[in-house]
Amino acid sequence: MRALIDLIIHNKHWFVFLLLEGISLFFLFSYNGYQRSVYFTTANGVVGSTYNVISGITSYLHLQEKNHELEAVNQELREQIYEMTQKIDEYERDSIKRMPALPLKYDVVSAQVVNMTLHKSNNFITINKGEADGIRPEMGVICSRGVVGIVYMTSRHYSIVMPLLNMNSKISCRLRNSEYFGSLIWQRGYADIAYVTSIPRHASVKKGEIVETNGYSDIFPAGLPIGVVQRIGDSTDGMSYMLRVKLFANFPTLRDVSVITNYMTSERRSLEQMAEDPAKKNNLYRSKDREAVEEQKKIQAEQQAEKERIELERIKEMLERQHSVANPTQSSTGQNTETKDTVR
Amino acid sequence: MNSTFLMRLLRLFVLLLFQVLVFNQIHLLDYITPLVIGYMLVCVHRGTSRSAILIWGFIMGLLFDIFTNTAGMAAASLTLVGMIQPVILKMMSPRDSAEDFVPSITTMGFWRYILFVLILMLVLHGAFYMLDAFTLSDWQLTLISIAGSTVLTTIIIIFIELLVRSKRKNSHY
Repeated sequence: MRALIDLIIHNKHWFVFLLLEGISLFFLFSYNGYQRSVYFTTANGVVGSTYNVISGITSYLHLQEKNHELEAVNQELREQIYEMTQKIDEYERDSIKRMPALPLKYDVVSAQVVNMTLHKSNNFITINKGEADGIRPEMGVICSRGVVGIVYMTSRHYSIVMPLLNMNSKISCRLRNSEYFGSLIWQRGYADIAYVTSIPRHASVKKGEIVETNGYSDIFPAGLPIGVVQRIGDSTDGMSYMLRVKLFANFPTLRDVSVITNYMTSERRSLEQMAEDPAKKNNLYRSKDREAVEEQKKIQAEQQAEKERIELERIKEMLERQHSVANPTQSSTGQNTETKDTVR
Repeated sequence: MNSTFLMRLLRLFVLLLFQVLVFNQIHLLDYITPLVIGYMLVCVHRGTSRSAILIWGFIMGLLFDIFTNTAGMAAASLTLVGMIQPVILKMMSPRDSAEDFVPSITTMGFWRYILFVLILMLVLHGAFYMLDAFTLSDWQLTLISIAGSTVLTTIIIIFIELLVRSKRKNSHY
């Protein structure tokens, strides 16, 4: 017994080693179901604000570049506006007024990137807006050039985004011209290259074709640009094409992003809210009932008034008739027409 | 609470700060990022309690992980390094060295010290990048990452050692 205790004391570092490795591996493997332990990531307030300060300083280094980029985008937009006004003029001139299409609008919250990795197998971006700004997991993130990624987890003032550059990221997309759709995945290596899988072999794909979101999910509206086809290759099983795509978003210099907060239509949202919150649902019904009751009351009151009015009219008529009946009796009792006139 | 403890604590924070602010921004050839936090365990003197080395390594790794969203990866790797550090040090210390000598260029000699650092860094980066990739399908990339960062980190550590050598010639912690 003594010898056993001695042995344990002598080799206690082995137990410490196994314990610590166990904890590490536990963290490692519970990484994917990780939403709960927000404290161990850059969404943590202290770490997040540290990075915020750092990125505030380093952002000045890229101002020039950013300005050029903005200038270019502005120019592009100006050209587009010009083209569109021309087109609108053209259409308005020679056609009857069409029904205006329902506006499909989505609100965005703009945010800054405070930390980002590019060279791991699973990269993440930390941005400086969180739940307090209305950001929730599963919202889409875009930048001025194209799609960036999807919000993965949020804390009060920071959020972690799973960008396209993550081996777990999978975004459904389509080719702009042919509308064949596939899913966009990323493989470790380059920060500007991704792949579109499961494009059928009979699709005629050309180099330079634009890949965009297809709007099948609730995360992105359709038609947001993702990248451009750079090479057409075969998938590993040879059954479909695998397209090499150059991404539009320039991740290494990424700084300003926008989070799409209300792509879901209001009707759908209210429906979902109602399903989520039974108490609210009852309230809603109750208030509706109250409205209905009130309306009914109003109608009843109106009917009542109408009835009274009719009744009054009837009485008046009756009185009048009595009066006119009474007059002849008066005249018959010896009154002349003159007096009758004066009475009137 | 003695000076050794405080020195280690100070070194932990300084190294962590430099790692997060400077060395994490290095992406040589896109894959090579040095983990200079490994220096923490390189300069632990002989005769330190093995449990203490393990715990220091674990804490350092965990703090690094929190900053880089790599839960548990660096913690596991540095704990592993903490486990083998005393063994390697025992194997490589000169014959007539003191019982509690601090591994450095002056006490071990230049080439022996480089080899010592290289072995520890190989274990550290090997564990780290294999846990990062967690697959052998792109083993070439992993291999480049491991080899490149090991060499780069060793070079950086030698530089640090040369910079601070005069300061801690006669002290050990």
